[in-house]
Amino acid sequence: MGATGKLKKISLVLASLLIMVTPLLVSGCGQAEASLKVGLSIPFTGPAAEKGRPMGDGVLDCIKYINEELGGVEGIPIEVVWRDTQYDSARAANFVNEFMDKGCLFFTTCASKEMAASMEIANRNDFPGFTVFSSPVCIHPPEHIYAQMPDYGDSWAAFAKYYMENIWEGTGKPRMALHLLNNPTGSGASDAAKALADELGIEIVATEEHAATTLSEIESLSRIKAANPDVLFISSTPQPTSIILKNARELGITPGVTVGCGHASFTQALIDLSGSAAEGVYGVFPTVNWGDDVEAMEKMTEYCLEYHPDDYGNMDYITCWAEGLIIAEILRLAVEHVGVDNIDQLTPQIVEEYGFKMLDNFDPGGLHGPVSYSAGDNRMAKAVRVFQVNGGAMVPQTGWVDAPAILYEDFDWFGQ
Amino acid sequence: MDLPAGIRNFTYAQDMAIFRTRWQWMMLVVFILALFCAPLLLNNYWLGIANLIGISIIAATGLNILIGYCGQLSLGHAGFIAVGAYAYAIMVSRFEWPFLAAMIFAGVVAGLTGLLFGIPSVRVKGFYLAISTIAAHFIIIWVINQWSSLTGGYNGMGVPVANLFGVSFAGQKNQFYLIFAITVLVIFAAKNIARTRLGRAFVAVRDNDLAAEVMGINLFRYKLLAFFIGCFLAGIAGSLMANWIGYLNAENFTLNESILYIGMIIIGGLGTTLGPILGVVFIRLLQEGVNSISPLVEGWIPALPSGFTAGLGPMVFGLVIVLFLILEPRGLAHRWNLFKASYRLWPFSY
Repeated sequence: MGATGKLKKISLVLASLLIMVTPLLVSGCGQAEASLKVGLSIPFTGPAAEKGRPMGDGVLDCIKYINEELGGVEGIPIEVVWRDTQYDSARAANFVNEFMDKGCLFFTTCASKEMAASMEIANRNDFPGFTVFSSPVCIHPPEHIYAQMPDYGDSWAAFAKYYMENIWEGTGKPRMALHLLNNPTGSGASDAAKALADELGIEIVATEEHAATTLSEIESLSRIKAANPDVLFISSTPQPTSIILKNARELGITPGVTVGCGHASFTQALIDLSGSAAEGVYGVFPTVNWGDDVEAMEKMTEYCLEYHPDDYGNMDYITCWAEGLIIAEILRLAVEHVGVDNIDQLTPQIVEEYGFKMLDNFDPGGLHGPVSYSAGDNRMAKAVRVFQVNGGAMVPQTGWVDAPAILYEDFDWFGQ
Repeated sequence: MDLPAGIRNFTYAQDMAIFRTRWQWMMLVVFILALFCAPLLLNNYWLGIANLIGISIIAATGLNILIGYCGQLSLGHAGFIAVGAYAYAIMVSRFEWPFLAAMIFAGVVAGLTGLLFGIPSVRVKGFYLAISTIAAHFIIIWVINQWSSLTGGYNGMGVPVANLFGVSFAGQKNQFYLIFAITVLVIFAAKNIARTRLGRAFVAVRDNDLAAEVMGINLFRYKLLAFFIGCFLAGIAGSLMANWIGYLNAENFTLNESILYIGMIIIGGLGTTLGPILGVVFIRLLQEGVNSISPLVEGWIPALPSGFTAGLGPMVFGLVIVLFLILEPRGLAHRWNLFKASYRLWPFSY
């Protein structure tokens, strides 16, 4: 036999060995230490990495803190199975299968898009999970999916309520224009306006859409200007919102017309991008700001500066540090129910029943409003704060304001 | 030693057979048996990956007919998959059509949409056609988002679980059998299309459309047929995707997906039936490998800050595509043929 023949035989043997050994490598060896498994879908890379990266850093740093400094949950470490979805729906959907296969007790996603892709498989399998940012479709009708924070519709409702009670001084109905991102961030606000505008006494006079990649909104704002609104609400992300604010200033819409922003855009990044055009703009956000005097701030800042200093000042890091604290609390409640010595009895269904549904005024270190479960309302935190940009800083105008629950499923148009 | 140095064919039928030797038939039976048994061995996650691979093979096979055989560059394939997915979802959820009828309807609607956007192919080709198909993608996604009374708009729409002859296709296991049965049929059809007058006409159009026209091939007819068949298969893949994911949103069908499909057929080998299969399997498994390794690397090196390895995926993909373009532009199918030829001739060197 020549050298080529030997080479072929060796390659065949190696290929066979690889095929035989791979399952062993994948399944791991030996007895694993007891842990509480949680699956995390994070858009670390891809088109949403700008938000996904600090969000992932925040939650992973928080779990690291819980495991290393607090000794896990009731002495049991949290084992994170995190996956980079790349903001891709198919991957997000199949990761739910993986989380279930790997024995995760529940899962979380960062974005409403990821949850929208994952929720059908999760709901079909009674596998609970929550999403940090959410749109109404994720939790209406309420099944096994929960929202960590108020959704994009709640942002509109909270701002509209605040506007009517504290800013509007005219007679009759104020005229409101909406400028919405062309995805669930925008449609969430639009759905809330459809549901509540009449009840709150607001007239919607114009609705415009924009893309995340927009470079100019002069045309749409000209139409809005022609509709002569008293207030403009923008539900979008920081970059396009900054363009709308600058264009509104150029067209003379502001100052004069009150502007409010939903929580997906109202971060320090918006102020940095908009400059003086952001002055006087109102916005809602469900978490505190960096440097605020709350319980979790010191430890969170310490971890952020040590491991991810680039994330310092980013509100998404705060949001997901709070996510980590909520994960631990859900697990703590479930472990408390079955007993520390019986954690092998924990199932996703037990965690949902005795973890998610037992949340009662849990304080995530003061980072956002209290977290509770109320039947029929799968939003875990229901409160936002209203801020106003003043001197280049976000100045709180209110304490925690509860966003009213909107039963979207009762409206014929919802989901149509 | 019983090693064939060549197969003699005594009839035309023997010459045209896809599987020509007893050994090939045996391998086929073993492969089908292995596929049949796969759900018994794989967990839900890997079945999910297998299902996604099956769906992607159907879509990539359609794109391969369009680009690989007929030479009509399309960058809007994800848009046509979206048309199929929504057409299926609308028929089963709003009109309660049975699965099979809705799936075929989805294929036809996607095919007709492809026909519409394929019309410019008669006048333009190459980059110009690519741009017009990109426009098709954006128009389709815009329509889906704006026609909210039918599609749910930005909120998306739920898809009821498929049922066929009383069997529910909710779980990954049942879906696996459904998806792979359809995938096998599609591959068989694609193989035969390539061997018929239609396939040869496609190849003639691809290689030199002027010469093809001189030979009597109706360019308008065959180019549009390629668009119809390619987009019909995209529609079938879309309907299976809708059932697999369970909830549709236009954001599921991005331009990146279209580019990924082109990457798959390039890596697999353009203009071969095997190419899309190998390309899809390679890309999807590579995605999984990178996904599994990233968190493990962080576990092995605790000093790394959390999330450090997240950039591994894009780096590996970029590297793989560049390496393929440089080292094996004819794709994995060509490499497989070389491998088969070397084993067929062994122990002779030529």
